[in-house]
Amino acid sequence: MRLLSLLLTIACAAGLAHAQDYLDCRFAPGWEQTGAKRLYTPDNLYDYKDGGAEGYLAFSFVRMESMDCKSGKDTLSIDISDMTDADSAFGIFSANRDLRLPVSKIGMGGQIEAQSASFAKGKYYVEITELAADRNADESATMQSLARKIEGLLEGQVTTPKTLEWFPKEGLTSARLIPESVLGMRLLKRGYVAKYAQGQAFVVLEASPESAADVLKKVRDRFDGATDAKVGDEGFQAKAQYLDGICIFRKGSYVAGYANMADPAKAAELAVQLATRIP
Amino acid sequence: MDSTTSRREFLSAGLMLPVVGAGSKMGLWPLTGEPDARSGAPAKLEYRVLGKTGLKVTTLGFGCMITSDPSVITRAADLGVNYFDTARGYQHGNNERMVGAALGAKRKQVVLSTKSEAGDKASLLKDLDTSLGELKTDYVDIWYLHSKDHPSDIRDDMIEAQQIAKKQGKIRFAGMSTHALPKQLEWTAQKKAFDVVLTVYNFAMDRSMDEAIAAVAKTGTGVVAMKVMAGGFKSLKPTDPTYQKLKRDGAMLAALKWVINRPNISTTIPSMTDMDQLDENLQAMGNAYAAGDEKLLAAHLEMIRPLYCNMCGQCEGTCQKGLQVANTLRILTYADGYRQFGLARERFKELPARHAEVRCGDCAECTVKCPFGVQVSSRMARAQELFA
Repeated sequence: MRLLSLLLTIACAAGLAHAQDYLDCRFAPGWEQTGAKRLYTPDNLYDYKDGGAEGYLAFSFVRMESMDCKSGKDTLSIDISDMTDADSAFGIFSANRDLRLPVSKIGMGGQIEAQSASFAKGKYYVEITELAADRNADESATMQSLARKIEGLLEGQVTTPKTLEWFPKEGLTSARLIPESVLGMRLLKRGYVAKYAQGQAFVVLEASPESAADVLKKVRDRFDGATDAKVGDEGFQAKAQYLDGICIFRKGSYVAGYANMADPAKAAELAVQLATRIP
Repeated sequence: MDSTTSRREFLSAGLMLPVVGAGSKMGLWPLTGEPDARSGAPAKLEYRVLGKTGLKVTTLGFGCMITSDPSVITRAADLGVNYFDTARGYQHGNNERMVGAALGAKRKQVVLSTKSEAGDKASLLKDLDTSLGELKTDYVDIWYLHSKDHPSDIRDDMIEAQQIAKKQGKIRFAGMSTHALPKQLEWTAQKKAFDVVLTVYNFAMDRSMDEAIAAVAKTGTGVVAMKVMAGGFKSLKPTDPTYQKLKRDGAMLAALKWVINRPNISTTIPSMTDMDQLDENLQAMGNAYAAGDEKLLAAHLEMIRPLYCNMCGQCEGTCQKGLQVANTLRILTYADGYRQFGLARERFKELPARHAEVRCGDCAECTVKCPFGVQVSSRMARAQELFA
C-alpha cells in the first residue's frame, strides 16, 4: 500500500512538473517571469476572468495554469487551460477567435495577432495576451514564438473535430461548437453549428437513435405547421418566426439540419446533402 | 431611488404590461413543448427608472455573455425586454458582434450597455470605438469601466475618458462594474463619479451589500444587479445532482425574484442561454417574492450548510494540530461563497504558519466535530488545497 502511495505521489509530481514545463517566459527572447505561477479551477476562475469565466465553464473547463512575463515596460500573460477533451478545447477556441481573421495551423487551429495569440491542441486551450506600453506595436513575432514553443511541448490532437468536415465549405463564414442550446433550444443540448452568408447548419449527437428520435419529436412539437421532410431517417420542415425556413432531421443518433433559410424547401434541399455526409 | 415607490407609480401609470406572445405558440414555442414555465400566465413587463439617468428599464434585463443563438436576443427585444448587456472582452469581441446583429433595427428601442477593461484614457477610447463598430451603433447608452474591485483600479484619466465619450455623443451615461461595491463607496457614493453602477448581488451574499447599495442609490446612481443567481449555481455542471435540483425546483427563478424585489435595484442582467431560460426568467417580472420562493432559497441554503461555518466557536481548541478551524472556514467562505479568492488568499497568509504546513488528510481521524454538521475535515483540506 505504501509502495502504491509512493508511486502515485511520484506520478503526480512528474505530471505536475511536466505540466509546468510549457509555462516559460524565456520561450520568447528578452522576456522573464514576473510573480508566481497561478492555478485556477472552476471555483476561483471568476476571480481572474470575471464574467468571462462563464464562457470557460460552458466548455467543460477543468483548470488553468497562468504566468505573467515582462520585458521592459511590457507585460504579457500566458493562460493554459485544460478543457477536458479536444472537442471542448476546439470549442472555446472557435467561440473566442476573431472571425474576421484567418486561422493559423497551430495545433487544431490558432490565431496570431499583433499583441495576442490563441490556439487549441488536444484538450488544451492556450491564450497569450500582451499589455504593451505601445498598444499599436506589432508584437506578432513574440506571440508566434511563444505559441509555437508551447504548442511543441503540449501533447494532443492536431486535427480538427471530424464533424466539421460534414459541413459544406462554400459560403462558410464560421463553424463552432455550441456548448448548450443549439439554435437557442435547450432540447438541442450541444453540437456544432456552421454559419453561412445565408442560414446556418447544425449537427447534434444524441446518446442513441431512440433519444435522438425523442428529441426530434419534441423539437417538431414546437413548430406550428411542420410538415414531413424526406431527409435521413425522419425529418420535418417549417417556417418559424425567429429561425425562418428550417429543416431538421434525424440520422441514427444524430439530430441535424438547416435554419434561417429563406424558405423551408431550400433548407430541406441542403439538409438532404448534409444527411449524406453524416455516417 | 425608492424602487417600491417607483413600481407603484408605474403600476398606477399603466406601465406594467403583459408580454404579448410570451408563453404562447408564436410559430416557434407552442404550449405543448417544454419547459413548464411557458404554460403559466403571460409574463408582465415591469419597468423602473435607472437612477438619475431617467432611463426606464425592464426589471429583467438580458446578460448576453453566454447566449447560444442571436434569435434569443431578438425574441427578448420583441417581447419587450429593453436592457441588454455585453462587454468588449466577452469572446474577444464576438459577443458584441452577435448582440449588434441580433438587435438590428431594434437597437434604438433598447438600452444597450458594454464595458471596457482598458486601464488608461487612450486605450479606453480606442476600445469604445471598436465596441461601437462591433455593435453597429453610433452610441451606447451605458459604458462601464469593467471589473473595478479596488479604489486604485480607477484613475482620474479613466473618468476623463468617459466624460470625453459623453461629449462626443458616443455614450449617454458612465458606469462602473464591480464585485466589491463596499470597497468602492469612495468613487460611487462620495465622488459620485458614475451615473450607473453594475454590481454583484444575490440572496447568498452578506447583508452588508444592502447598505452599500443603499448608499450608492441615495446619490441618484442607478444600480444594476449581476450574478443574481449566485455564482455557485453556474459553477455546477449539469450532471451535478444539486444543479438538477436547482433547475427543477425553480430556485433560479426564486433567486431572480429575490433580487428584483429588493429595494434600490433598477434592473438585473442574468445571463440567458436559450429561449427556455428567457421564458422562465420573464416570469420574475411583476411577481412578488413569495413564501414559496423563500422556502426554495432556504432549502438551498440548507443544502449548502455542510459547506458553511456559522462561526459559533464551539470547535476552537479541538484540532489536534492546533489549527484555527472557524477562522480557516470563514476565510474559505470568502472564496467559495463570495468569490473573493484574492481576499481569501491574503487572509489565509495571515494565519500562523502551521496552517500552510498541516494537511488534514494526514490525520487518521479528525478530532473536530461540528455541532451543525459542517464537514470540517474536507472543508479544511479544500482550504489547504486552495491557499497553502
